[in-house]
Amino acid sequence: MSANRFAADRGEAVLEVDRLDVRFGKRHVLRHLELEIGRSEVFGLLGPNGAGKTTLIRAICGRVRPASGDIRIVGQSNRDRHTLHHIGLVPQEIALYMHLTARENLDVFGALSGLSRSERRQAIAWAAHATRLDERLEERVDIFSGGWKRRVNIAAAILHQPDLLILDEPTVGVDVDARNELHEVIRDLSAGGMAVLLATHDLDQAEALCSRVGFLRGGVIGPQGAPRHLIDLAFQGGKEVMLELRRPPEAEGRAALAEAGFMPSHNTTIWTTLGMVIDETLTGLSARLESLGSPVREIRVREPGLDSLFLHLARNEAGPDR
Amino acid sequence: MIFAMLRVMALSLIRDRGALAMAFLLPPTIFVIFAAIFSGTSGDELELQVGYTVLAPSPVTERLETALRAEPGLRVLSDNPVDEAALRSAVEAGRADAGILVRSALDSPSDEAPIVVFVDPGKAMAGGIVAGQVQRLVAETLPEIGLARTAPLVEQLVGGFDPGQSARLAAGLEAIAADAGDTPAEGGGLVAQQVVGGGGNSGGAVTYYAGAVAILFLLFSAMQGAATLIEERNSGIVDRLAVGPAGTDVVVIGKYLFLTAQGVIQVGLIFLVAALAYSVDVSADPLAWLLTTLFAAMAASGLALFVASACTSKQQAQTISTFVVLVFSAIGGSMVPRYMMPPWLQDVGWYTPNAWTIEAYHGVLWRGEALADLTGSLLPLALTGLLGLLASIAISRARLRL
Repeated sequence: MSANRFAADRGEAVLEVDRLDVRFGKRHVLRHLELEIGRSEVFGLLGPNGAGKTTLIRAICGRVRPASGDIRIVGQSNRDRHTLHHIGLVPQEIALYMHLTARENLDVFGALSGLSRSERRQAIAWAAHATRLDERLEERVDIFSGGWKRRVNIAAAILHQPDLLILDEPTVGVDVDARNELHEVIRDLSAGGMAVLLATHDLDQAEALCSRVGFLRGGVIGPQGAPRHLIDLAFQGGKEVMLELRRPPEAEGRAALAEAGFMPSHNTTIWTTLGMVIDETLTGLSARLESLGSPVREIRVREPGLDSLFLHLARNEAGPDR
Repeated sequence: MIFAMLRVMALSLIRDRGALAMAFLLPPTIFVIFAAIFSGTSGDELELQVGYTVLAPSPVTERLETALRAEPGLRVLSDNPVDEAALRSAVEAGRADAGILVRSALDSPSDEAPIVVFVDPGKAMAGGIVAGQVQRLVAETLPEIGLARTAPLVEQLVGGFDPGQSARLAAGLEAIAADAGDTPAEGGGLVAQQVVGGGGNSGGAVTYYAGAVAILFLLFSAMQGAATLIEERNSGIVDRLAVGPAGTDVVVIGKYLFLTAQGVIQVGLIFLVAALAYSVDVSADPLAWLLTTLFAAMAASGLALFVASACTSKQQAQTISTFVVLVFSAIGGSMVPRYMMPPWLQDVGWYTPNAWTIEAYHGVLWRGEALADLTGSLLPLALTGLLGLLASIAISRARLRL
């Protein structure tokens, strides 16, 4: 078993989703969805709950029949059941048998993946190494911490060396160290040639891990691209600015803030704007707010991240009145 | 605060259909079943199926047959078995709960009782009931018989009747016969009981309850084991397998085979205890016993997997499983022998694997039936197992297609 069996095909499209429409009755869950993921690429599928992420994953796995459109995996339609064997799925839940050891779990899932006994021996050794699981293979899964369970969860999905690895919220409920180790595992698998589709709410994770991301909202996939590229495109080099006021502003103060592009957060003393070019506008606004009885307690300026982009897209979608 | 807690409990119950059914539907259902059973045994609705055979027909035996057929507590087989062997066979095969054999003239004194009631030991209570009914009917409808049987004894004791006394006695007996039904009399010494069957080497009552308990626990443990199907669905294991070559079919079939094997071992243990403690002997036809056990375990596994695949949550499955097992066991004879139930409930019982399993074990171990004779009992069990498995596979596949 080699982690680099895909290296020669680097760049080839592993997953192609072409004008995919999915309806549940009258409800349009996915609309004209276009997506392509190549080898060694980690694609972050981002979006709020109910956006259609799970439906898209189920459609790719052949569990949802599309109203129209095509899904191809390594060039073959996923309507052919054999094509699905190119997928390794890591569900959000810990999809393991808790009373079995890690090795026993991997052996079961290897057998169910169609691997022979000798193939399983090799596959378990490879997957355990790839997920840094070697030292605890003989321990029962139910005594593992969340991070270790997540490793076994991933290992069970890669035994047959799938071309496409789908990870649904792979680090939910794990601490920072375990999360970072899992990121390393995913990076290595991707570097070995797997195409990775990562569905996550964790925008920091997506930014750290994904070569490309796409925002899914209301069944429609928005802009796709490298996180930094999308952020730069949206904010044109501007910053995310947060003003914390000492007192909630009166009507005139609120108008001044809105005019400068600030929007209130859940707390009316905290106002943020995205993509602001830091210049004398900020100094002028600060002085104006002070004169209106709401002096600024703190100004925070930072480079916008994917969370800023997510907020930006949500605001644009909601319209200017929001 | 207490009211708030009451409200939470009430709302939780109202919104949980399974809990509602357990709380309010299962108790009356079980009550109805047991009320039907026990009101039957107290006499209102009990109808025992009996065979009636007369070796020396006479007007008296015809009158007894008429009385038996008119008795609401008895259902006399429409075709009377032609001889004693046929009557015994009807009882052994379970076509009749008891057999009434009139083997000699009722009105002639003899050392042995002229009427014998044959009964299967698994239905010993039925023998007592039928014997009592026959005694009562003879007393009510054939009162002269008792006197006719005791008169020679009295004659012997008093040193003989003179011709006048003998004539008056004969006239009196004729008059009593004419007024039959109006003058209750004793019918002692008329009816005897005999246990029939036992082609196998085991105690009839014990084999009955070994089979009854075996299918009850087969159902319980299969339901519990099959619920892991729901756990695997909820934990994402089925999602994971859905993209593999195995699909969900292997999950269902694998569980079916395991639950069946587990069931065979479980029943084996029950019969081991029965053998050690009650001398139940499966050695006469181990193949027939094994096949009965196998088919019963298959039926329980198929049924359990069908329930588990149809349920959306483990809690729902537990509720429905409890419901199904209790109702099937009550109706199918695992709790109370079916012959004690009203006829309509006995008929409903044939729709449960319990009835067929008990029947098959009784056939193997008590009646000593050959494999060919068991086909009628094993076929419904095999069909239940197969249909349950196929339904479970179909539902599990459908659940993957959302």
